[in-house]
Amino acid sequence: MMNRRKFLLEAGGGMGVLALTSLEAATHHAPKAKRVISLFMSGGVSHVDTFDPKPALARYAGQPLSGKGDVVVRQGHPGPLMPSPFTFRRHGQSGLEVCELFPKIGALCDEYALIRSAFSKSNDHVQAHYALSSGQIRMGFPSLGAWVSYGLGSVNRDLPGYVVLYDQRGGPFGGPANWTSGFMPAAYQGTVFRSAGEPILDLKPPPGMSGEEQRKRLAALGKLNAMDAARTPSNTELAARLESYELAYRMQSAAPEAVDLASESAATKKLYGLDEAHTEPFGRQCLMARRLVERGVRFVQMYHGGLGIQNLDTWDAHEDVKTNHTRHAAATDTPIAGLLIDLKARGLLQDTLVVWHGEFGRMPISQRGLGRDHNPGAMSIWMAGAGIRGGQVIGSSDEFGYKAEEQPVSVHDFHATILHLLGLDHTKLTYRFNGREIRLTDVYGTPVPQLI
Amino acid sequence: MWRLSLGIVVAAALGAQEDAASLIEQKCLHCHGGMQLGKLDLRTRESALRGGEHGASIVPGAAATSKLIRMVSGQDTPRMPLGGSLSEAEIVVLRQWIAAGAKYPDRTLVAKQKLGVTPEPALRESDRKWWAFQPVRASGGTIDGWLNEAMTKAGVKPAPLADRTTLVRRAYLDLIGLPPTPAEVAAFVESKDPQAWPKLIDQLLASPHYGERWGRHWLDVARYADSNGYEHDFDRPNAWRYRDYVIRAFNEDKPYDVFLAEQLAGDEIEKPTYDSLTATGFLRSYAKVGYREKDNPEFRFEYLDDMIATVGRGVMGLTVQCARCHDHKFDPISQKDYYRMQASLFGYVEVDHPLAPPAEAKAWREGNARVDAAIAGLRDKLRQIEAPYAAKILPGKYKRFPANVQEAIATPEDKRTPGQVLLANQVIRTTRAAPGEIDRICTPEDLAARRQLQREMAALEKQRPPAPPLAMGVTDGDYRFTPDGAGDEPAPGKGIKSEAIIGSFLHEGPGRYTAPPSFLLVRGDMHAKAEPMKPGFPRVVDWGGLPAELETSSGKTAGRRLALAKWLTAPEHPLTARVMANRIWHHHFGRGLVASLDNFGKMGDRPTNPALLDFLATEFRTRGWSVKAMHRLIMTSEAYQRESADESGTAVDPANRLLWRFPMRRLEAEIVRDQVLAVSGALNRAAGGSAVFPPLPEELLASSNKGVWKRQSDGPETWRRSVYVYRKRGLPFPMFETFDLPDQNIACGARNVSTVPTQALFLMNDPFLLRQAELFANRIKEAGGDPVATAFRLALARAPRKEERAAVDGLTVEALAQVVLNLNEFLYLR
Repeated sequence: MMNRRKFLLEAGGGMGVLALTSLEAATHHAPKAKRVISLFMSGGVSHVDTFDPKPALARYAGQPLSGKGDVVVRQGHPGPLMPSPFTFRRHGQSGLEVCELFPKIGALCDEYALIRSAFSKSNDHVQAHYALSSGQIRMGFPSLGAWVSYGLGSVNRDLPGYVVLYDQRGGPFGGPANWTSGFMPAAYQGTVFRSAGEPILDLKPPPGMSGEEQRKRLAALGKLNAMDAARTPSNTELAARLESYELAYRMQSAAPEAVDLASESAATKKLYGLDEAHTEPFGRQCLMARRLVERGVRFVQMYHGGLGIQNLDTWDAHEDVKTNHTRHAAATDTPIAGLLIDLKARGLLQDTLVVWHGEFGRMPISQRGLGRDHNPGAMSIWMAGAGIRGGQVIGSSDEFGYKAEEQPVSVHDFHATILHLLGLDHTKLTYRFNGREIRLTDVYGTPVPQLI
Repeated sequence: MWRLSLGIVVAAALGAQEDAASLIEQKCLHCHGGMQLGKLDLRTRESALRGGEHGASIVPGAAATSKLIRMVSGQDTPRMPLGGSLSEAEIVVLRQWIAAGAKYPDRTLVAKQKLGVTPEPALRESDRKWWAFQPVRASGGTIDGWLNEAMTKAGVKPAPLADRTTLVRRAYLDLIGLPPTPAEVAAFVESKDPQAWPKLIDQLLASPHYGERWGRHWLDVARYADSNGYEHDFDRPNAWRYRDYVIRAFNEDKPYDVFLAEQLAGDEIEKPTYDSLTATGFLRSYAKVGYREKDNPEFRFEYLDDMIATVGRGVMGLTVQCARCHDHKFDPISQKDYYRMQASLFGYVEVDHPLAPPAEAKAWREGNARVDAAIAGLRDKLRQIEAPYAAKILPGKYKRFPANVQEAIATPEDKRTPGQVLLANQVIRTTRAAPGEIDRICTPEDLAARRQLQREMAALEKQRPPAPPLAMGVTDGDYRFTPDGAGDEPAPGKGIKSEAIIGSFLHEGPGRYTAPPSFLLVRGDMHAKAEPMKPGFPRVVDWGGLPAELETSSGKTAGRRLALAKWLTAPEHPLTARVMANRIWHHHFGRGLVASLDNFGKMGDRPTNPALLDFLATEFRTRGWSVKAMHRLIMTSEAYQRESADESGTAVDPANRLLWRFPMRRLEAEIVRDQVLAVSGALNRAAGGSAVFPPLPEELLASSNKGVWKRQSDGPETWRRSVYVYRKRGLPFPMFETFDLPDQNIACGARNVSTVPTQALFLMNDPFLLRQAELFANRIKEAGGDPVATAFRLALARAPRKEERAAVDGLTVEALAQVVLNLNEFLYLR
């Protein structure tokens, strides 16, 4: 396995090089998912206001949260229990209860399994982002997408294997460290595709240089480098570098094509909400994500919520959960539902894994009457596609949603599940750093049995 | 009669049941109770039967196959409970209890573990037998002797020596990270002096650019950056002084033992200097959360862990940090070893050392304190005047909160329900009347009085003495009383930034400073304190005899860091010299004799040539810990001067482990950029000072954390050497990252080398690169003559070959310039 991965790397690794003739070659067992789209709702979605209804909050409204040990809040002082300002509705054959904010995502509940007992490690936005991204609250560890690139290589020769699409308002909490390759080679890090202009940094030469001029330069360069490589045939790096220029050249046309939405039909654009101002930005990202996975991108990491005005532009509802979540749910409901419907219609959903989560849940108690503070003790995650049985609920949080209770699912469990669905055993996917075989899941994690 | 005996049996069974339950309460529940480590909860029979990650823990009636018994008796690993096994008698109790059906008593089990003295595994004689823990053997010989011996054994012939043009470029790029000019090439190639090569090495070692090149290697180990990282990613405006110190130390060939002592204890050494105080920035270069430690002491343990990891891996090649929560899994490092080392560092506090004579520094500190005290008095007066107005304003402000909050606040304090108390407190404690609001309603007299006070306060601010240059470092003190400063944003609700805590956190005497107590922390949990720890050294590499605490010259610090430094650099230490000699070797040959530079433990790589490593370590020490002496020693070997393109040994040793040829390798990110600047003629050779900010696309800046990225131009002000480019933890400089910059948050000795299309995209399309190519083209044109020859001589230090001329035939000079900057040969050291 080591040699295979080394080979994947020398041939370019995550950064779109090697067309694997068969995906299974690099996996530990038969995969159910060939690719992943991760929808990261940045800022912390309140589970008790979206996917985890808690009638007890209405029953005990205004009373202190007691009997659960120390109540740890991020900001200031704890408030009393606060019911959700939203109502929940049963949907689909499964009768799953989803809040009114997500009419379209709710209607699709038979497509995804809902984990109501997920929990994370930190009530700090950045640390919690890193936990979801890399399993560690500290900076500097390879992200999930990097591990997947490392484990599986890339399918499309002309596109990166790991693409990041972040909110047009700005990057998520913690910035580019969320898609780092950490101590692994740079080949495995996420490549940011921008939503406007050239999708990748330095993708095209500046206006002054014609395509013809560039080809001429590359031809001369190719000849010189080939002569040089021929002098030391045993050095595979030199050959790989020669090849990397051809790839870079092909990427110049492949990358813009992959995210050019012009050829999409009006009906498709409408499906993703591109026809309405409030759904257009995230709808565009979701449609880009579909086009990317269609073209063989292995891992698309999306963020909704970006560093603009923190309490407004992310899900960080300290001030007022009703206003905040109404706004962000409205911006994402149609795009995400559109993505699921479109993937299914194209036959992609069966082997594409779509995951949805924030970095932590929010408190069942109020923050100054209307808001909710951070709560890493419990959060909701849903997972669709990849043969996962939809409509099922996994685990539960306690009666108030303060802590995960039945079948707690840690971030490591979540990561182990994703790797398992991709055909990778999280205990065997290791990278040697400083003399230690390091795993995404450290020394923890068990795949969620109902999902694999 | 039978009734009685039955009663006894029942009572005995109940007793056994209680014994087992109490054992579980004392020995197991701390981890396998509410914490459910390994998903195992032994508090109820039901959950115990269900088991954890490893399946059912108890099978009633089948003690032998029960996981619990297998784990406590050591049949399965790790033996439980961690850090203290059960006695045979205790295991028998559990066995019998399970055999009898594993009945739980009729009460809820709760953890009753007493924190106390935790046993430490005894160090076995065999633990010290590991090669890296053995004393360094003075093996003698020469570099080539040791290498050639291994080659002869393997049946590989060494490659011939490289020609002089190859050598001169190799030496320049390796030692100073800049290419030789055509004149410098000619001077060496044409020299008839038999000592030309050692003289060239000396000349390069004397260049100020040497420190910029080799200091950078150490900055990787020191996880150096110019910003804090994490959410706020605050700027570290004085961090560069440490970076410059490192560069200076290499240029001055500061002996490595002194270099280490200054970085660990520059404030404790006999005669602290500005440089030694600056050097303590080494310990402080950890990524830091924006919140103050005194508000969030848990972070402090993360910083200590980072220091232990950095000193452990960086200096000793030991992963001491793995023993934070339990004894090391692979190396004989106990959890207590970790906490002894933590105790050595525990007294540290962050401080900005004034780089000024003591009297001046004192005057500055006292001047500041006087201003602070005077302002505090005025602020109290101001508050008194404002209080009645604030009381009038606040009820209005509460109106923007929902009805339940208002109702809670309106309810008299003693009548509030428990929920209302919470709601009211949340709002009352976080709502303030703004000065502008008070302005609008206060009487003219009070307004005048407030204005007067505000003026006096502003005037006082101006009386602050000008700050001397400050170096970001550490000393000993009590972090709980650290005054507020830049970058110390208090945790919300846990402290207010503007309210400086009065009083000094530094020990001013009388008497000797003693470090605050530190403890062994069960499972690394700061709340689970076990016995107090004394400072000390990892036992397996400690030969005894050196104290873990020393008297310091000032008496104001504990002398523990100084003792740590003395121990690390003592001649008996088996690791320090080996680890650094190996680093130097790695940077010359692209691979250490021990490939895992930062791990000499059991999970690290074995030395490919142990005798050679010990030879180098011995030489390093006997040559006064001189790094420059090591360069001379290594570079004058034949091994260093061999050809890199030779292919004769590929069949036997394709990976070149035996170094039969010189290993060619891609240059590091910084050197690629520096070389481009040097070849284009644009390099601004100014040394040191604040970092520079080469321009970045706005979209990229939008992706990052907060913190700074100053807008500077793509011109001479940023065309400095890459070691001076701002290192922002939240946003690594993209060109560096593309070329395998290591993560800036973990000590890293060996960088990755990857080949990816984004590197090609940078070299093909990046505006910076194209601009430099243009400048390079101008330089070629200005030189006159044959442009191809000029381009090759400037960039590759050699003349073009005939077939190479043919390949670039018909290109414009601009095109030629860019093509040359893209050549593999240009990007490689060979």
